Amino acid sequence: MALNYDYDETNETWPFFLLTVLLMIIVPLTISQFYKIFIKKDEEEQLTKEEFKKNVLSKLNDKYTSSDIKDFRKKFDNKKQSNIFCWKNLIIIGGWILVAFLIQRISSNDAIIDSAKGIFDPYEILGVSGSASERDIKSAYRKLSVKFHPDKLPKDLSEQEKNSMEETFVQITKAYEALTDEAVRENFLKYGHPDGPQSTSHGIALPSFLIDSTSSLILVIFYISSFVLLLPYFVSKWWNKTKLYTRNNLHIKTAGSFVSRLVNYKPSQIATVDLIIEWLSHAEEFKIFYPNLTPKDFETLLQDHIHNRDSKINGKDANEMKYRIVAKCHTLLHGFLEVCCGFRNLEMAIVCMDTFKCIVQGIPLTKDSQIFQLPNVNEEILKNGSVDEIHTLGKLFTFSDNEIGKILGIKDEDRLQETLTVASNIPQIKLLKADFVVPGEEYVTPQSTPYISIKVLMRSAKQKSIPVDKFPNEMLQESDDFEDLKNPFASMEKEPLMPTSFAPRFPTNRRNTWCCLIALQKDIKILQTPYRLERLSLNNLSKNLDKRTVKELGDDFNPEDWEIGFIKLPLGQQAPAELGSIHMRVVIKSTDYFGADLDLSMAMNVREPPKIDELKDDIYNDNDSDVNDSDDDDLEDDSGSESEYTDIDTDTEAEEEEEK
Amino acid sequence: MASTALRYNPNNKLINDDSDSLTESREISIMQINKLSTAIISESNPNFTPQLNDEHSKMIKSLFESGLAMLKQKKMPEALKNITLAVDMAQRSRAPYEAFGIQLQEIQFMLRHKIDLSLLTGRFLDALQDIEFLMNTGMAQSDVYIRKSDALLKLSQFEQAKICCERGLALHPNEVKLKALYLEINRRLADYNGDI
Amino acid sequence: MADNSTFEEGFNNTYTDYSSFNGTFNGTYSNNTNGTFTGAEEKVETIPISFYTPIVYAVILIVSLMIFSRRYKANRIRKLAEQPEIFDEHDAKELYFELQGLSTTEKIHEKVLKAALLNRGAEAIRRTLKLKELAPQIELMYKNGSVGEDYWERFQAETKFVEVEFRETIQEAENLQPGWPKLFATLCQEICFNQALSRRYQSILKRKEVCIEEWDLKINSDGTLTK
Repeated sequence: MALNYDYDETNETWPFFLLTVLLMIIVPLTISQFYKIFIKKDEEEQLTKEEFKKNVLSKLNDKYTSSDIKDFRKKFDNKKQSNIFCWKNLIIIGGWILVAFLIQRISSNDAIIDSAKGIFDPYEILGVSGSASERDIKSAYRKLSVKFHPDKLPKDLSEQEKNSMEETFVQITKAYEALTDEAVRENFLKYGHPDGPQSTSHGIALPSFLIDSTSSLILVIFYISSFVLLLPYFVSKWWNKTKLYTRNNLHIKTAGSFVSRLVNYKPSQIATVDLIIEWLSHAEEFKIFYPNLTPKDFETLLQDHIHNRDSKINGKDANEMKYRIVAKCHTLLHGFLEVCCGFRNLEMAIVCMDTFKCIVQGIPLTKDSQIFQLPNVNEEILKNGSVDEIHTLGKLFTFSDNEIGKILGIKDEDRLQETLTVASNIPQIKLLKADFVVPGEEYVTPQSTPYISIKVLMRSAKQKSIPVDKFPNEMLQESDDFEDLKNPFASMEKEPLMPTSFAPRFPTNRRNTWCCLIALQKDIKILQTPYRLERLSLNNLSKNLDKRTVKELGDDFNPEDWEIGFIKLPLGQQAPAELGSIHMRVVIKSTDYFGADLDLSMAMNVREPPKIDELKDDIYNDNDSDVNDSDDDDLEDDSGSESEYTDIDTDTEAEEEEEK
Repeated sequence: MASTALRYNPNNKLINDDSDSLTESREISIMQINKLSTAIISESNPNFTPQLNDEHSKMIKSLFESGLAMLKQKKMPEALKNITLAVDMAQRSRAPYEAFGIQLQEIQFMLRHKIDLSLLTGRFLDALQDIEFLMNTGMAQSDVYIRKSDALLKLSQFEQAKICCERGLALHPNEVKLKALYLEINRRLADYNGDI
Repeated sequence: MADNSTFEEGFNNTYTDYSSFNGTFNGTYSNNTNGTFTGAEEKVETIPISFYTPIVYAVILIVSLMIFSRRYKANRIRKLAEQPEIFDEHDAKELYFELQGLSTTEKIHEKVLKAALLNRGAEAIRRTLKLKELAPQIELMYKNGSVGEDYWERFQAETKFVEVEFRETIQEAENLQPGWPKLFATLCQEICFNQALSRRYQSILKRKEVCIEEWDLKINSDGTLTK
């Protein structure tokens, strides 16, 4: 039979089609939403609880966060969630209503039920059970055929009744044959019908009312509008949106303005935090948040944040605006750092990182910034009172707790203890060893691909400084595990995530990141994009080695107690082809804390590769033998003449002979 | 257009702009034009070349040498004053089109003396800025790094001093003075960080 | 099996009449006649449409493409115009034109105009050098997606503008003093470098002030540190 494309005249297929499509969308959506609401939330709570237990700073951070900021966090967290709530839940509810409606429609549609009935079931027609024996079938057929045989029908029936009777009789006959006659039975089993293959229709699951000549125009318009107008519109909108933001999630206008600032930046100027803040304030992102405000306003808001002032714009409280602006700075500053690195400008990149700290801690960059990032510090007393030069946390901890209280102007004992806890939990990096490493090589050879390996000791400012020589060389050795050789950076992924930072003035909770910059010493130009270090164990910070009580590291000092931090930085470039030294400056700057940075100079000594010794020779030959193996067929003639490979060739030949 | 704000003084042949909206870059541009005008007007040859003006050279040299004479008499402040004047003179009187290469050498040479004198008389910030000027104009000799590290150390910028010293050592690995300075800086830095 | 023949008769009968039963019998099994019937109906309807359909289709397509391209072009031009300038100011160029404008109303010393032109030429050289220096860096940033396409295009355009600008100043130099351009170019170069040196020197004072503030230094009036 010819295949026809029919529309769904009796409305029996399209509801099924629609139902399937709907369920395909709604069921996963519902499940994911349930997961989000009930399971994930619990997990998150669990995580924060654990973090609170493990990390003292998280708790203190929470304590010192002003209620204003907490309100802000709550509002924005809720807003984000409730937004998703409304959106998705509406779709889900609407979808389920539609599903219910469709099911109702299907069950009330006679055509569907009819067609379901119309499926040929010989047992049902004969009124016998599926397990009935041949004899039962025969007797049932006899009974029915007597009743419906055209010859035995009463004469007074109307034409219609007669027809239906006849039809029933045909059905009964067919059913009987399907169960008894071999050929018909085969037809039935193969095609589901005693008459052999039935025509199947390929219909389009559109309700017939859409195909009617009047509404078919609507359908055509619908098709045209969806494929000619809507689809291109949404695709182009999506495409424009992806083009609107750079790789670092900066608005392209913001990125453009950052680049412009750097193009026009005069090398005679000194870059300062204030300058960067002025540049930040022109960000397009801020304008999108608050179209009515000017860059000048944004600059004031950012400066207010840094100087811990309440913000007012046009006499109205603007603290919430300030929090939103400040929170956005995280993305902006990371983006700006990338632009600085694009310009290879190390000076600007460093000031960018200083600005990052200022914004995170909400304090200006001064020589006492390290101290001011602590809570409860009295600025007046610190500035006027101190006799000694105390600008660092390390220096602060050379004094007794009581004296520190006096220096910082903290009278309350509990508060002082909290301040000291924060001070001793801000990580400090001590450099132990720094090398350029080529995996599997002793040293850097020409045109090899080295990476920078820095071994550091993460320590607390409170702890006595441990000289590098206290650590045996083995502890500072590069791992030569096969896995580490294969991917030296995999081990860094195993380090724990940095804990929540103590940054009570920042509008959102955050974790410290170290941005690692690599520059050439020759021209102090940055070589590559910043590497963001987000994982490093800070377990050492809780070790008790108070510099005020431990005067000298005695014999009981066990270096094994301390964890060595491995920082591995991939280098974007190969070692040069020429021999000699290249000096690089590596700057590791924290985004969150003052005084948690490392700045070091290191030399890459490119040396002649080692003379190929016996062992290496073997390896090379092995490799070659592999090549020979695979190409044996072509190289058979050559192999004899290549005297160097004689050993191997005999090997392979022997193998071949064995195979034969 | 802002053209209305520009004024031309026919007497001294200078231009100026005293409007409130005068930007810094425009001001610099006006200054540069005025400096050029003055120089060209005193030039009789319409086809003037980038040659050094000997008269200027003589004046600057005499000032500078008087400074050196003071130095010999151990009159440090006076020596510094005269050398500073010589540098200023070079910057002020020389025409902008006089050969750049020679002008650069001249100012670098004089500044090096000025820096030494500034360091000797305790003007560390002056010295530091002059050194940075030298470094920005491409000088990278070891003594520049020694002086910069020293100035930074005296200004209590220990971290900066360490960075500068490390860079100096990277470029001049065998400089004994830098090595000694590096040890000193590290000692001071440890004290600053309370690690002694 | 005497009844067999009648069964077969009935069977054959229904087989041939199959289609007539079909309507009530089974919806999912298609009916042949019905199909051909609707097909014929469609043919009748499509003949008049098929004549216009391609034309209508083509018109819709072309018109929509034209609208799109026009809007896209307009959008691009607007965006390029919106892009911030690569350089913040064009003071050297503007000042020269302002002076030229003044020279039409009052008498301005010819050498002052020359000075302004030299300044303009020197600035053009500075920009050429600056753009040349930045080009590889900006290209790299564009390639790795740190800079938008618009800025990149603007930047490339600027490179051409600067070239044009320098050629224009050379032309002006010829107008002011015939035969000057060759010397003019070398002069501009020296001026460009010397001006940079001079700006750097002028900035020392300001840098000191910044340092004093940033490092919280206490400096006496003679430049020494206060103890």
